[in-house]
Amino acid sequence: MSSTPGGQSAAEPTHPSGPPDEELEKSLARQSFRRRLRYFNDQFARVSIAAGGIGVIVAILLIFVYLLLEVIPLFQSADVQQVADYRLEGAADAGLLHLAVEEQSEIGMRLDADAVVTFFRVADGGVIERRQLALPPGATVTGFALASEESGLFALGFSNGTALIARYDFQTRFRQDGTREIIPHIEYPFGEDDFILFEDTPIDRLAISERADVLLLAGVNTAGNTNLIRITQQRNLFSSFNLGGAAPQFEVESLSLSIIVGDVDQLFIDGDQRWMYFITDRGRLSLVDLRPALRGQASSINQVLDLVAEGRRPTRISLLLGDISLLVANNAGIVSQWLLVPDSEGQMSLQRVRSFEVGDSPVIALSPEQRRKNFVVADADGHVGFYNTTAHREAYNEMLFEEAPEALAISPRGDTLLAELGGGEISVWSVHNEHPEVSWSALWSKVWYESYIEPGYIWQSSAANNDFEPKYSLVPLAFGTLKAAFYAMLLATPLAICGAIFTGYFMVPVMRRQVKPLIELMAAMPTVVLGFLAGLWLAPFVETNLLGVFSTLVILPVGILVTSFGFAQLPDHIRHRFADGWESALLVPVVVLLTYLSFIVSSGIENLFFAGDMRSWITNDLGITYDQRNAMIVGLAMGFAVIPTIFSIAEDAIFTVPRHLSYGSLALGATPWQTMYRVVLPTASPGIFSGVMIGFGRAVGETMIVLMATGNTPIMDINIFEGMRTLAANIAVEVPESEVDSTHYRILFLTALVLFLFTFVFNTLAEIVRQRLRNKYSTI
Amino acid sequence: MSGQGEARNVDVSQVLRKSTGDSADSLEECLAVRDLDLYYGDKQALKGINLSIPRQRVTAFIGPSGCGKSTLLRCFNRMNDLVDGCVIDGTIALHDMDIYQKSVDVADLRRRVGMVFQKPNPFPKSIYENVAYGLRIQGVNKRRILDEVVEKSLRAAALWDEVKDRLHDSALGLSGGQQQRLVIARTVAVEPEVLLLDEPASALDPISTLKIEELINQLKTNYTIVIVTHNMQQAARVSDFTAFMYLGNMVEYDKTDNIFTNPAEKQTEDYITGRYG
Repeated sequence: MSSTPGGQSAAEPTHPSGPPDEELEKSLARQSFRRRLRYFNDQFARVSIAAGGIGVIVAILLIFVYLLLEVIPLFQSADVQQVADYRLEGAADAGLLHLAVEEQSEIGMRLDADAVVTFFRVADGGVIERRQLALPPGATVTGFALASEESGLFALGFSNGTALIARYDFQTRFRQDGTREIIPHIEYPFGEDDFILFEDTPIDRLAISERADVLLLAGVNTAGNTNLIRITQQRNLFSSFNLGGAAPQFEVESLSLSIIVGDVDQLFIDGDQRWMYFITDRGRLSLVDLRPALRGQASSINQVLDLVAEGRRPTRISLLLGDISLLVANNAGIVSQWLLVPDSEGQMSLQRVRSFEVGDSPVIALSPEQRRKNFVVADADGHVGFYNTTAHREAYNEMLFEEAPEALAISPRGDTLLAELGGGEISVWSVHNEHPEVSWSALWSKVWYESYIEPGYIWQSSAANNDFEPKYSLVPLAFGTLKAAFYAMLLATPLAICGAIFTGYFMVPVMRRQVKPLIELMAAMPTVVLGFLAGLWLAPFVETNLLGVFSTLVILPVGILVTSFGFAQLPDHIRHRFADGWESALLVPVVVLLTYLSFIVSSGIENLFFAGDMRSWITNDLGITYDQRNAMIVGLAMGFAVIPTIFSIAEDAIFTVPRHLSYGSLALGATPWQTMYRVVLPTASPGIFSGVMIGFGRAVGETMIVLMATGNTPIMDINIFEGMRTLAANIAVEVPESEVDSTHYRILFLTALVLFLFTFVFNTLAEIVRQRLRNKYSTI
Repeated sequence: MSGQGEARNVDVSQVLRKSTGDSADSLEECLAVRDLDLYYGDKQALKGINLSIPRQRVTAFIGPSGCGKSTLLRCFNRMNDLVDGCVIDGTIALHDMDIYQKSVDVADLRRRVGMVFQKPNPFPKSIYENVAYGLRIQGVNKRRILDEVVEKSLRAAALWDEVKDRLHDSALGLSGGQQQRLVIARTVAVEPEVLLLDEPASALDPISTLKIEELINQLKTNYTIVIVTHNMQQAARVSDFTAFMYLGNMVEYDKTDNIFTNPAEKQTEDYITGRYG
């Protein structure tokens, strides 16, 4: 290090030619260069290692932040902003029957009690078209019913007992210059003729329901009689081609319900056209099964119940999207959702599943959304609230109006709200309500879904029809994740730890050097290959050789024990032929042989006890569901993937237990086994524990194996013979088909975040436990 | 350095007889080594050792590094069995029982011949559990017995007063000297006949070393002690008999006084006067 004259003189003899000063300078320069190089190397190492470490943390944080940013909008409240406010020409002339907005929120429609349809521009209230619908001579409009907001199909009942069925529709066209033009029009899909419900008695209340090609029109007259018309569209091969000119063919049947319900205020037919609801203005509902009437028999009242509490009145009643749920708003500011549920005797009855508190004053306007299970309400104080039924969530509730609005209309996309205030004043609001379907309870609690007989945890993110109720419970997925991890760990943990103990503590070093890398090589197997093998080879193999697999589980351990015992009984000169510590290698052919034997034996046993097929015996005799790709397959395949992880870490921990500890124990007269479980295992326990935890983390996050080796059915059943769907596999399955930034898409990110937090919390806990163990068992 | 190549036969009975002088009856043979050869693979580490270790005396093995003194010590409780490729020829008798016979239960032998290593190796358990360990592995779990033995052993190892208030604290919190005495207490707890000490004080500071030496003096009234040490002063201080080993040979074995004041062999003299080693 130090450059002294001594160093120079030592160098002198080797370079006798160089002058001493030059040599000294050279050596000094070399040393200073080395010193600088060393300093630079130190700095470089310090900076690059720090950068690497910080980079890892930043990358993880960025992933977390990105996930969080994708997820946060799910939980944001809706935002409502006023965009226009105007007086609509002619709106004050007659009372409002229905208000609607089309898809692009450009054109509104107002139907009034004089049967005048006004199409107007939403932006400024400019009237595009006013059209008087044809009224029978001398008749007035006495009833109105809307089939659904989406279809725009409505019926007008007249004072002469007839009804007109029409539809408002908006057609989008593109002009030559590429600009969009929306043309509103009224059409008569069931003909322009009036349908006669009653002879010369005014229709009081109407209900209309369209399902496939069948239209039901029901009316109650002022005398309380109920009549029903069924209109069936005739389709044949030729009309399907719609060659034009040919008027659609209808079959019209008039059916009498022969039921008299007094004081009917509202009338509804459910989406299946099976039930009819008669509701009085006091909120008493009479439930009528329509099927006998449709068969030409007499229908009767199935159930009578009160939709509102004593002393309250229903103010607005509407069917929710899908026409399954009934929304009942009352004069105390509460909206309740009712579902038809079979009771213990199979009798269908309406049950209240949840309710929403809007405010203290009566709800006076209610409009369901057209594509989501949302509805918007307004109360007498001018409060407007947006609600989602499935999530039981209030997305928005603010006082928007000074006075009570008369009616509300929400656009199909749910982004524009139209409110009609007194005196024909229309108020237009832009609504930003992207993800009302998500709430804590929708994700993690039991939810009573439509058409379900009780609340449950369901994951079903999409369906074939548009009016279905998305079911976003994460519980089945979390359950599936834990189930898969549980069965994998059930296999992997004992095998890996026992293997690690044997390899790390008992095995001769020569053999250990061969065995350890070999097991670690298992980790290099791509999981997609494992999943592929598990799903396409192992699953069918296990299904056909179920008993073979089970008998292996029994025969193999017993056989190994018997072999080992037998070996120990052999005479010394035979035993000593095998090199010390290599005796365990003898087990390899034994294991192969015993496994083969198990499968041979199993077919005989199967014939003897299980009628030749254990798999059908399980299903038929035990009544246990058996899926081909089940938790056992996942346990085997994922266990295989997890074993090397646990083994490697645990083996290192056991092997690195200081020899002087085990020697200390042995020197006290402990047997190797006592030493192993009293000294070596406790000392290695932090390492073994972290091995198990890392294995568990891997099992939880593993995707390809569970994706390919389970049926991916999000069920909640601990049964080893049934499949599951895990969080990770769910993301892999559904991300490709989810619309970017939709609720579904963001929920998938939420599941990713849950997975992330799951692993994070688990690893942190594991680390804490590990540290405590390490403090307890740290060695000198 | 003459004669270092040939295996020397130190006449054990002579040594013992020589030393009987004043206390002829009190000397009794505890461990007897006869013609012991030991090989690590191809390398011979011990060459024809003959030795007789008296009961309830302290016998010290001295010699330069690598002379085989620790190897010889480890033969007495068969710890060499744990070394791969270690082959032993000859006999070692513990009170007439050949400890290398097949029928010998090694675990039981090691209980009777306790060993303390160079580096303190308490288990990562509490002080109490460290001392109780030897009993627990024999299936003794009665609290009363354990309490008694733990106190007795810690007192025997002169550690009781220092640790009695923290028996259930981790043993790893003790100082190096305390840890070594704890290890001795742990060994004493199973009441062995022989205590093998493999450089027990070499990793300790002088004060701890002194305490260990005092402890050895106390323990020899009850135990046969064999100690390996690099420190000749220590051998002189604590031992009654000393064996000098060199390159796997037993060069000289005699009463400690004789070895240090009047060695018979030139090699011994060279070593103890610091001429090599």
